[in-house]
Amino acid sequence: MIKKLLVSPFGWLIGILLSLCICLGALLLGSLDAHSLLNSEIGHNILWNIRLPRVLLAFVIGASLSLAGVMIQSNVRNPLADPSLIGVSGGAALGAALMIVAADFIDIQVHYYIPVAAFIGGILATMAVLKLGRNDMPGGMALLILAGIAINVIAASLIGLLTYLATDSALRHITFWSLGSLASANYFWLTLCSIALLLVCIWLPRQHRKLDAILLGQAEANTMGVDVKRLQIQSIVFVALLAALAVSACGIIGFIGLVTPHIGRMLIGASHRYLLPLSFFLGGSLLVIADGVARTIIAPAELPIGIVTALLGAPVFIWLLIREGKRLQW
Amino acid sequence: MVMTLNQLSLKRNGKQVLENISGELAGGKIIALLGPNGAGKSTLIQSMARLLKCDGDIELKGQAIGCYSAEQLAQNLAYLPQHSQLQFPLEVEEVLSLATLPFALTKLQQRQQVKQVIQDWGIESLAHKDFRQLSGGEQQRCQIARTYLQLSNMKPPSAKTPDQNEKSGGLWLLDEPASSLDLEHQQQLQKVCRQAANEGHCVVIVLHDLNQALHLADDVWLLQEGKLKAQGNVTEVMTEELISEVFKVTARRIEDSGKYFFIYS
Repeated sequence: MIKKLLVSPFGWLIGILLSLCICLGALLLGSLDAHSLLNSEIGHNILWNIRLPRVLLAFVIGASLSLAGVMIQSNVRNPLADPSLIGVSGGAALGAALMIVAADFIDIQVHYYIPVAAFIGGILATMAVLKLGRNDMPGGMALLILAGIAINVIAASLIGLLTYLATDSALRHITFWSLGSLASANYFWLTLCSIALLLVCIWLPRQHRKLDAILLGQAEANTMGVDVKRLQIQSIVFVALLAALAVSACGIIGFIGLVTPHIGRMLIGASHRYLLPLSFFLGGSLLVIADGVARTIIAPAELPIGIVTALLGAPVFIWLLIREGKRLQW
Repeated sequence: MVMTLNQLSLKRNGKQVLENISGELAGGKIIALLGPNGAGKSTLIQSMARLLKCDGDIELKGQAIGCYSAEQLAQNLAYLPQHSQLQFPLEVEEVLSLATLPFALTKLQQRQQVKQVIQDWGIESLAHKDFRQLSGGEQQRCQIARTYLQLSNMKPPSAKTPDQNEKSGGLWLLDEPASSLDLEHQQQLQKVCRQAANEGHCVVIVLHDLNQALHLADDVWLLQEGKLKAQGNVTEVMTEELISEVFKVTARRIEDSGKYFFIYS
């Protein structure tokens, strides 16, 4: 039933409408009421230049991370894989931390450069992982993940070293950044992230049966007409792009990439024909809701969104583990 | 000829796992790969499926196997691995429908074929179950059905040219398909193998049950420590002496109403 809906135009309409409702709700949520938002100049400014890009960016990044999660989990055939596993968030965090610490010594507009540094760091780290993990053996993907873990560890220790050198304010900045926030959302990053997401949305749905075949196994997929290596490399490049942009725009947001694909699979199974559109809407909506919570629950202050997604995501994940364990009698 | 192997060798971690293996896989035949554990049966069948790179030449229908794209390869051979592990909740029907992936079929044709194969294999009750919840034997049956569906889509040799040399359908590679099947389904498997061979496909099957091999196979390749110990017609290869030597048992071949059986002591 849900499955049929998901691939019909009607289902898409419902998905879009639901997402719009969630976005609209998030848009109006906050310290100013709807009336003053629409009728005063400050309200207008807040609505169009602060909240709208923020809500839209939340949706785009949620959907990006969720799709990236589906891609990486299916390609490594491991339900516990996460987009950050290929080293991208570690590298991005290192780039951002370097920029934050450097800002104390050179006089620049640090807010503009942190995302750029994060993006460069993320891409460099992913390239290093790809280089390290490249081999022609059947276990190539496992090696890639191990290389990703190694790079993440190196990045984490270097960040540790940097925090040792950093001033108090820089330290606070690094910590806050590494927990993620959508507060600095603007149209520039919204455009960039949307373009990347659009590219993936054009490419990915055509691969849905190939991804299903990979779930069965690499040997099976290879003998069912899937060029597994090529598909994996393409997927990794897209995952890196999505994750690097997401991390750069709003810091590290955990759990969305890991948990939303699982929620999707619990609802409609692992067939990518249905899982891809569902993950898109679920991931986007979840992050919009999480951001709404993050910026209103202790208003006028703001919680880092990484804390909210982790607090929402971890219990879901634990429940999932118990449920799966029961079902499959581990 | 469906496939020709020429001087196939493979070294892994300093150990020679395959050594100078040559042979021909002809359409219409069932070829059993026999040998003790570690003899190289799985390695050989994986090389045939182009899953392992080895020295030597493999030709698939007269062309080097390396020239085929992944899709073309899947249009000519279907492979059943020894173990399959699915980590994600796919339904049996979804698993089966993947077999049509390499072929240009309409959605309707795909659905019909899947329905047909479910009927043929008597797995109607499993069709909408999570694949991971099936028993080992049930999973095995579904996987065999999946590869059979793929095979049955391969162009059968045209009936108008009965020239024996042209008789080259697809290649069906089965790595220990019978290991977790009950007797009824072992027989079903044998029947389907014979049927596939009669349609002009070539079936390569790894077996441990020698009696099964005796009854099912046309040819036998007997492997020992990566080398081909013997190769040829089933009754010629499976003699008491060779089987006893290779499997390190005392085997006796007895005859009953025109059929051979092995008993061991």
